[in-house]
Amino acid sequence: MIQLVDTILALVLLSVLISFGSSRLTMLIRVLAFQGVVVSLVPLFIGHDLTAGSIVFTLVTLLIRGIAIPLFIYLAIKKVAIRREVEPIVGYHASLLAGLALIVAATFVSPKFNLPQTGGDALLLPTAITLLVAGMFLLMARRNAIAMVLGYIMMENGIYLVGTSFSVRAHHIVEFGILLDVLAGVMIMAIILQNINQAFDDVDTALLRTLKE
Amino acid sequence: MVEIVFLIPLLTGVMAFFLPQTTGRFLLVITGVVHLLVSLYLWIRRPVALFDVYFAVTPEGLLSLLVISLLFFLISIYTSKWLEHTEIRSERVFTGSMLLFLSTMTMVTISEHIMVMWIAIEATTLASAPLIYTHRSAATLEATWKYVLICSVGIALALLGSVLITLSMDIGGVDVPVAFSALTEKAGSLDPLWLKTGFVFILVGYGTKMGLAPMHTWLPDAHSEAPSPASALLSGVLLNCAYLGIFKTNKIMHAAGLGDFSSTILIVLGLISILVAATFILKQTEYKRLLAYSSIENMGIIAFGTGIGGLGAYGALLCLIHHSLIKSSLFLSSGNILLGYGSRLIAETGKLAGKMPKTFVAFFGGFAGVSGFPPFGIFIGELFIIIAAFRSGHTIAVGIFILSLCVIFAGFARHVMQISFSDIRSTIRMEEKSVMVWPQYVLLLTSLVLCIWIPDSLYQTIVHAVNSIGGGL
Repeated sequence: MIQLVDTILALVLLSVLISFGSSRLTMLIRVLAFQGVVVSLVPLFIGHDLTAGSIVFTLVTLLIRGIAIPLFIYLAIKKVAIRREVEPIVGYHASLLAGLALIVAATFVSPKFNLPQTGGDALLLPTAITLLVAGMFLLMARRNAIAMVLGYIMMENGIYLVGTSFSVRAHHIVEFGILLDVLAGVMIMAIILQNINQAFDDVDTALLRTLKE
Repeated sequence: MVEIVFLIPLLTGVMAFFLPQTTGRFLLVITGVVHLLVSLYLWIRRPVALFDVYFAVTPEGLLSLLVISLLFFLISIYTSKWLEHTEIRSERVFTGSMLLFLSTMTMVTISEHIMVMWIAIEATTLASAPLIYTHRSAATLEATWKYVLICSVGIALALLGSVLITLSMDIGGVDVPVAFSALTEKAGSLDPLWLKTGFVFILVGYGTKMGLAPMHTWLPDAHSEAPSPASALLSGVLLNCAYLGIFKTNKIMHAAGLGDFSSTILIVLGLISILVAATFILKQTEYKRLLAYSSIENMGIIAFGTGIGGLGAYGALLCLIHHSLIKSSLFLSSGNILLGYGSRLIAETGKLAGKMPKTFVAFFGGFAGVSGFPPFGIFIGELFIIIAAFRSGHTIAVGIFILSLCVIFAGFARHVMQISFSDIRSTIRMEEKSVMVWPQYVLLLTSLVLCIWIPDSLYQTIVHAVNSIGGGL
């Protein structure tokens, strides 16, 4: 069982690299959906008590993080996704290298935190840190508005992994509230994306430069 | 039943999306009245909440709640008239979002659970995003995009901070609900390292929402592009809500004996905000952006005062209350100026004193208040902060503080003089309506009265709130 979790988490780490190296937005959305499914399933495998409530909650999380959120983004960008590429602020090769460095760094610092409950899942904390920082990296390194939203979702996935794996305290009702907030946030972002596309005929945030200082 | 205070606007807000437009205006005012009454009831009785793990009535929350309620009531009256003079593509979305925005902000003031606080603050972002996008132009779109993205990312960091605080409970072996009051009681046994880390993330997260530099970049855009009543709410109350999150976490830090750590960060962030405002306020060309930078300045002052502690913390809360009252009145007046001159540029306004005398009185009075002239409360608040800073030996910091205030005053005054007295040929497009002026007068008057005479229960509440973060007279 323990190996299973680590294996899946290793795949998540690889998926971060894919998202850094890929210029296709649909690929990025697929990566996000995969990560969403994994982070919502992980809590089931790391030894918290299995109650009916937590199983239902896991399923709802899975539906929202793994399916609903990627679907919203996909629907919002269906028309623009295949359009020409916007040159990112940090190039794809440099991003890949940065991603590798990030994973190494995250794995290196993780044992120093001395967290309880990590048990045998050696990759939990490194994955969480990697997702968090990778999300922020996408937010800063991409000019494409959709990639930025996806970066935000990746960051949220990382936070969720920290929250569910290392702390058993949050009540399900509260976690559910957080989930709904994130969902609503992504929906609003998707609506804005559509509007940006309509107004500027593109989703390059370089076009959003009229307001300054 | 404390929860009813945010359920009412939630209900009317949802209703406003479906009812005809004119009913929406009426609903806005009615909700304002009911909300104010319920808030007053909570203030007097201070009941226990139904879900007391998640919600509670606290002194600092009550202060914010009362300010929100009063402001919304006055703004709703202004808005009902303002809507007649403004063309909005979808008025239902506007009124509905205003009410939902009120509901979420009210929820912030009574939330007791760390995660519920996060949910409520994130919800304020979502409810206010449609308000900023009301005019549906490319510029408003950009402002909304920046607002939603920057604030969401900021607030995601606050979520991480909240999670880290629960982690510090696990490591410290504290088994209580994740509520602010319970944590403050048990603060001594929390793991200090993770508590500190959590505080930093929460400060950065909610600080983004509060408009502390360098995370403030969304604020001038959002406040200037939003329609004026929404700007008044954003600037007058939303910033307070974010501050409340920081305040409550700071309370835990003080109870855990880590007050020095949190104070230092607050002082630094506060000073950076004031400096940024001083730099940018000089070369503003739009009057609403001017007001927005003034908000950043005041949030900086409040963070600085909270960090100084003692008398300074008391001064910070005074500034918080008076800034809400005065800044919202200024934004409402700026709405009149915009309707009158049809431009947001300072260069295209002028002779306000002659052309719109009633608005001029409100605008100029607000300017005097917000830049710290004696009859208004911000003066007293800033004075307390400066005295406290000298007493505690932060000489260099207070030097920068005073210097920046002077620069900001000079820059602000130059622009206001131009708006008020410079020559301009344009004609005024709208006659002044008294309904669109007296809410501002009431706000300024409240600030004046509170400066001369503070009701005892208000005074006690402020002192009680401030005591918990190492402040007091």
